[in-house]
Order: sequence, then C-alpha cells, then structure tokens
Amino acid sequence: MHNFLLATGFGLVTASIIAISAVALSLQYSVTSVPNFAHGEVMMVGAYSAWVVSKHSASIPLEILVSIFFGAIVSWSINRFVLQPFLHRKAKNLVLFVLTIACSLILQNLVLLFFGGAPRAMVMSVGGVHHVGPFRFTGMGEFTIATAVVVCLLVHVVLKYTFFGKAQRAVADHRELARVSGIHADRTVGLTWLFAGGITGLSGFILAITIGSLTPTTGSAYLLVIFAAAVVGGIGQAYGAIIGSLVIGLTMEWSALYLPSDYKIFIAFGILITMLIVRPGGIITTRLRNVAE
Amino acid sequence: MLNYWVSVLTLGLIFAMATMGLNVKWGWAGELDLAMFGFIAVGAYVYGVVVLPPSKLPAPDHYILGLQWGFFPGLIIAMIVVSLLSLVVGAVALRKLRGDYFGIVTVAFVLCLAIFISQYTFLFDGFPGLDGVPQPFNGVLNLSPTGYGIFFFALTILFTFIAYFILELLANSQFGRALRSVREDQSAAMAYGRNVYVLKLKAYVIGSAVAGMSGAFFMAFMSAFNPYAWAPAETFLLFGAIFVGGSGNGRGVILGALFVFVAIQEITRLFPVLPGNAQASDALRFVIIGFLIIAVLWFRPQGLLPEVRDRDGEPGPTLKDRSISFRDGWVHRGQRIIRIANRSKSEAK
Repeated sequence: MHNFLLATGFGLVTASIIAISAVALSLQYSVTSVPNFAHGEVMMVGAYSAWVVSKHSASIPLEILVSIFFGAIVSWSINRFVLQPFLHRKAKNLVLFVLTIACSLILQNLVLLFFGGAPRAMVMSVGGVHHVGPFRFTGMGEFTIATAVVVCLLVHVVLKYTFFGKAQRAVADHRELARVSGIHADRTVGLTWLFAGGITGLSGFILAITIGSLTPTTGSAYLLVIFAAAVVGGIGQAYGAIIGSLVIGLTMEWSALYLPSDYKIFIAFGILITMLIVRPGGIITTRLRNVAE
Repeated sequence: MLNYWVSVLTLGLIFAMATMGLNVKWGWAGELDLAMFGFIAVGAYVYGVVVLPPSKLPAPDHYILGLQWGFFPGLIIAMIVVSLLSLVVGAVALRKLRGDYFGIVTVAFVLCLAIFISQYTFLFDGFPGLDGVPQPFNGVLNLSPTGYGIFFFALTILFTFIAYFILELLANSQFGRALRSVREDQSAAMAYGRNVYVLKLKAYVIGSAVAGMSGAFFMAFMSAFNPYAWAPAETFLLFGAIFVGGSGNGRGVILGALFVFVAIQEITRLFPVLPGNAQASDALRFVIIGFLIIAVLWFRPQGLLPEVRDRDGEPGPTLKDRSISFRDGWVHRGQRIIRIANRSKSEAK
C-alpha cells in the first residue's frame, strides 16, 4: 500500500508534466489540424534556452520567461516559415506532417551541433519532502503540479472567455466557415502556434528540472507519451488533456511497481492504440461527433 | 581507395533497397510509415541469428536460434519474419486510422520495439547486439579482401535489380494501379469496389519484406548490429531519399537513396570536425537532410524523376490538374447529375 501511494504521488507529478505539454499539443493540433512532430523539439528548445540563462543567473522566474519566449518563437516560426507557405499551396495534410518531421530533425540536430550530445545538468534547489494527505511530494513536485493547474486554467479561460479563444474554436471547427465569418484564420492559427509554443517551452523547462538533466533527445523521448495523453483526452479538449495525462501518468507509474521501468512507455503505447481504435474521439467528446461520423 | 568506394556504394545500394521498400508504402499506397527502420533492424537481427552458430555468450547475454544455415536461408527467413511482423502491425494500425494517426502509431511501435530489443537480452543480446556474423560465401570463394568487396558489391547490385524488376512488374500490374487509386482517392477506390484495407495491408507487407531483405544485406555486409546502430530517426533519411528521387518512381528512389546515403554522406565528411563534439558531422547531415526535404517539397514536389503517369497522358488528380479536367466533358456531365439530384431533392421538400 505504501508503495502504491508513493507511485500515485509520482504519477501525479508525471501527469502534471505531461498535462502542460499535452494541453499545448492538443490545442495546436485541433486548431491547425497538423500533428506537430516537432513538439518535443520545441520543449527541448525551451529547456536549453533556460539552461543557457541558468549559466548566468540563478533567477528561476527569468528562466521560465526565457523558456516560454523561445518555445513560442520557435513554434511560431515553424508555422510562419514552413507550414503556412505550404498550406497556401493547398498541400495535403500528410505533407504538412512530413514537414514537421523535417523541422524536428533540423531542430534536434542543430542543438546537437551547438551543445553536443552530452547531458547538461539542470538543477533547481529542491525544497524538503512534505506530506500532503497520504502522498509525499518534494518542493519540485508541488511546483510542477501547481504550474500544471495554472496552465490548464489559463488555457481554459482563454478558450472560453476571450475573443481569441472563440476564434480558435471557430477555426478548429471549420476553417473556411470561420474565414467567411470574418475571422482572420491565418492570424488565429499563427497566434495559436505562438501560444501553444510558449506553453510547450515551459513544459520543456519543467521536464528538464524534474529529470535533472537535459539532452537533445529529452523532448522527443516524451513525444509519444504526450501524444497518447492528448489522444486519450480528445484532441482540442483542455480538460480532456488533463484527464488523459492523469490516465497515462498514473498507469505508467503504477506499472513501474510490477514491470521494469523501461517498459513504462509500452503502457502509454498500449493505451494510445486501444484509444485510437476503440474511441478515436477521446474520453471526452462533446463536439464534432456527428460531423466526424 | 577502391575498397573505400566499393564499400560506400554497397552501403548506398543496401539503403536503396530499403528506400524501394518504403516507396511501396509511401509512393504507391500513401502510407506514412515511420517504423521502416524497425523492420530493417529486425531483418538484420533475424538474418544474424540464422547465420550465426548457437549462442555461447555468458548469461545473461544470449541470442536465439544460431542455425548456421547460410546466406540464402538467412535472407529468406529474415524476409518472412519481417513480413509476418509487419502483417500484425499493419493489421492493427491500418484498420481504422487516418494517415497522421497511422504515422504516430508506427512511431510508437518502433520506439517500443527499440526498447524491447535493447532490454530483453535473451532475444538478440540486448545492447551489445550481434557481432561476428560470417560473410556470405567467403569460405568457399577464398578471395582477397578487395576481391571479396567487389564480389559482395556485385551480389548487392544483382539483388537490387531483382527487387527493382519485381517491384516494377507489381507497380504496373492491376494491383499497383489499384493501390495508386487508393492513394489518390480512397473513397473513389472504395466506390469502385476496391477493398482499401486489404490493398493497403498488402502494400505494407510487401514494402516491409523488401526492408527485411535490405536488413539482411546490411547485416551480411557489416557483420555486426546493435541498438546503437539503429536510430528510429534513420527512417527520415529514407523519406528524404524518396522525396529527392521522386516518390512512386522506382528508378527515382534508387537515385535518391544514392544521393542521400552516398553523396551527402561524403560531402559532410569533408567538413572540419568540431573539437569535443564527435556527433557533429552526423548532426550536420541530419540538418542538411531536413532542409533538403523542405526544399524539395517546395521547389520540386514530384522529385528528380517524377512518377510515370498513365500511357494516355491522363494527369493524376493533383490540385493544379483538376482545374484543367473541369473542362472535361465527363466532369460537366457529373456536375449536371449532381445539379439534377439537388433539384429533385429541393422539389421533394
């Protein structure tokens, strides 16, 4: 029982990291309908830029801001300079997917070229261990969970109560209809990449300080898990991504009680496949159900 | 120097085989299979364990089989095993999934496969991998190292051509045409009574079998293989080769493979090595390939050698061509039928 509670605590922290990233991926995927293969690389860019800052100053808020900034810039540039020109040529969706793969290849190897493949230490002074209810968390874990809650609330508020959010939902539903209704679709999509990229950069930073080190493949190693969480929750559902992350994060940590921890990713894979085949709309499906069928 | 170029070209041709296999999947059927390198790896491993003597490694290192059956049985068994594996993967992944989800599932599969093979040492000896795989026919021929290199090169050329001719026959058969119709418009193919799922699955298995063959050649040539030699990202190099050469064109993809795996490899070798970064030239190669994929898709999406269209010059339904075919009488007639159908619908109301 003790181990189970411990694993649940870990699972909650893992789920929070995944949730931050999955919310961004899910939002961007639903609005732009391009599965972003370079998502893991955007995370990594955020983390590396924070690492560069941490060399010069120990200010955590500054590191967070820098990771958000560079994540947003890179993500926006991928859309503006690679995807958008192709989209205007009416490229097929699969071609856009291939383009994000090319971007991921470029970003990952540029980092490898400039920073080398050796792991970089990324440490944050960890507060002591606290008992919260039946769980035990480090200061780091609490910080991660709090960030996840804040980010998910933010995404929810933006989607629900701002004009930008309304435009995003309109574009996600039907791009052409949104356009004839007077929504600047290109601008909305660009801002979505910017917004989602910022969150992704932040999630990369959080991932790196949780693991404690950073390599050029840190982000892409988590890509599959994040995709699984976003798909389980339902693409485009902010709350869905939270539920998906909880499902994936908790099952992965619980499975580590019985299986070697390297096999954790198998669990995520199994859940991903099962969901895609049994219920491709995700756990929460409120809209598009009738349209898709 | 001769040795060097022979071995570089042999490797280039081995990757050309793999690219031909991927061309069946992407070029003919439009499947974005990102698990391709997994099938090559399994082909290499299976060839290895069929050709090697039984495992005498100290526990926990171990590999299965160890049959010492020689080159041809190894090649055939590798292709069969890879086909069966891809049949299972394809049967699940192709069933219901849209193109992009299919890609994600295949990535997930290959990542899990990589972890499984590196961790489960009983199967193919985990991280150390297999080594000391005997070179095919070397015991019989008694050639000098240079002579043997040339012999193996010739063997690779022979099998590349065999694969090329079989695939060309298939491409021009009814099966190949049906597949292209699925690629262009799945719903239309279905309306003409094609079983899209079975067609796609067949293409997936055929492509994987060719990948298994290239894996077997890779193992025979390198005589060692381990998970470090195997990055799932290598699949993107194969895609780069296809885009450069021209997807759907058999000769094009061989050309593309030679360009990506020989020319770019040799060019990046010329760059100075950065101190303290051993992976720099590899990284640079991937960066170049990434930009190359984007550039080719922008400037010449059909590749160096475009896919050969039908004999009557009927253009494929790319978007640009469709605007031309609107002038075609058939389309006019089709529109009229739709108009009539719509009118009768509104009259019914």
